[in-house]
Amino acid sequence: MNAGRVAHIYRQWFRARLLSTIAWAVGLIAVVTLTAAFYPSLKDIFNNVGQGSGLESFLGLSGAIDPSSPLGFLWSNLYSNIVPWIMMALGIAIGAAAIAGDEEKGTLEYLLSRPAQRAEVVVARFAVLLTVLLLVALVVGIALAAVAPLFELTTATTTTAADGASVTNPGVSVGDIAAGTFAALAVGIGTGSIAFLLGAAIGRHGVAVGVTSGYAIAGYLLYTLSNVTGSLGFLTWISPWRWYVHDAMLITGLDWDVLLPFGLATICFAAGWFFFQRRDLRS
Amino acid sequence: MLLTCGAAVPLPRAVDTIEWGVPMASYVIETDGLTKQWGDLVAVNELTIAIERGECYAFLGRNGSGKSTTARMLLDFIRPTRGSARVLGGSGADPAVRARVGYLPGDLNLARSMTGRDAIEFFGSLGPAPDRSVVDSLVERFALDPSRPVHELSTGNRRKVGLVLAFMGDPELLILDEPTSGLDPVLQEEFRDLVAERKAAGVTIWLTSHVMAEVERVADRVGLIGDGKLARELTMADLRRQSTGRIVFSFDGPRPASAFSELPGVTSAEAEGSDVAVTVDGSTAAVLRKAGEMGASAVQTERRDLDDIFLELFEHTQS
Repeated sequence: MNAGRVAHIYRQWFRARLLSTIAWAVGLIAVVTLTAAFYPSLKDIFNNVGQGSGLESFLGLSGAIDPSSPLGFLWSNLYSNIVPWIMMALGIAIGAAAIAGDEEKGTLEYLLSRPAQRAEVVVARFAVLLTVLLLVALVVGIALAAVAPLFELTTATTTTAADGASVTNPGVSVGDIAAGTFAALAVGIGTGSIAFLLGAAIGRHGVAVGVTSGYAIAGYLLYTLSNVTGSLGFLTWISPWRWYVHDAMLITGLDWDVLLPFGLATICFAAGWFFFQRRDLRS
Repeated sequence: MLLTCGAAVPLPRAVDTIEWGVPMASYVIETDGLTKQWGDLVAVNELTIAIERGECYAFLGRNGSGKSTTARMLLDFIRPTRGSARVLGGSGADPAVRARVGYLPGDLNLARSMTGRDAIEFFGSLGPAPDRSVVDSLVERFALDPSRPVHELSTGNRRKVGLVLAFMGDPELLILDEPTSGLDPVLQEEFRDLVAERKAAGVTIWLTSHVMAEVERVADRVGLIGDGKLARELTMADLRRQSTGRIVFSFDGPRPASAFSELPGVTSAEAEGSDVAVTVDGSTAAVLRKAGEMGASAVQTERRDLDDIFLELFEHTQS
């Protein structure tokens, strides 16, 4: 493997993805800012209707979560749904495009007519997948850290429960945002890697997107329904939502489960390498 | 400019080693029983060819006959079901081999954001750096505007980008799939000149084409492929002989065509009035002698168009 060629292939493909990456990042900045901007008004609504605490979430946290608290608000409105969905969608889009997308367009064949090895293409394209997800995650984290103080999200809140007890919830810290965003990045990488593997192994872009999206959606249903009904709990480990949502790392901080998507990504990368080396290119 | 094809430059059997560490073989392309099969479909069937250094080999066949599949196996895009293919003494899977090959696909697809200049820079960066003056000269010869995104270009202009990319690295082997498709006549002529120059420099060329006039002018040898099988190989000299192989003898009265039918090389003999038309593949000596013995009073040769010969050959291939 030639590191110089890998770098050239990486740069070329990253440049090709740059505009779309910027578009995703701008979109996410808008989503994060808009969501944060609603916090001051929504916090008061929650307090006025007496729902300051006790909202049971089936998307993570076995205990209650207070949606009027800064962390609870961000979790229930951003980090338990929008951010991981978008990270997964982006991961699937790039993972499927990395090999299968370009193969179907015919651009990969011409690249491989040059002195580029298939292994070099796999390494460079997977590195772009990681880079783009990392950049978008950084943008999300930095944007949130920047706007949080503007919308009272870094300020501790105190709520009074029905029994008269007061509960003080801390404001969002940079560490919280980093932990939550890193966990979302991890699940995006894990899911994107599945699309990458499917694309590398079979060379069909539509199949890679469809199967991986189906897996993410089915995993969501499995995890949420299992939480509601209390059955099939052991199966939830195959769901990316179990790895991400269950521990609500935005609130509880990082734990070892965050490594699961990275382990999956490593396996998918190795398997993608293996299969792509051994098959015919599709014309 | 009329391009004449000289004999292929033979290479000594001894194996040398070049800069990229790949041995130079006597045959630049060598396949042995090369076969590609998908289920019941045999796209290429037991293909055995050997192309020498400096030779221009035209691989001809109808659409879907296996030409592109063969090219894709040579470059390791797809792997043979059986048999083997050697390119420049090695495998098409080896980047060191592909560094010495210029490839023009039937349909050049590049990333949407890529301009001609980007393509030259990027693909040039993957192998030995192309000589800037060579690139500039190619861009000028093909009147290419390298600043425009490739996906916005017309078919002919995309072809120009592909030709610049194929020729720019000073390759030892050119694999060209329908190289002049979409080019205007002036650029087709430019392409033929370029091929002549590269051939003179010892470059080997493997091409597919449906333009028989082009094949006639650039190729040394043609291989006819039908339904995946190599039906026939002919040198251009063979083809030219066939093109002049129809001879009409005039007599002072009707003569039986059967008098010529059994002579060596005669593929057909037809009598019409006091004329007998004979088609000969190979030497005409026996036919001329026989006509003299039978008292022919006039001899007329007819030059057949190469397109007609190819069509005839393809019909034989199909049958």
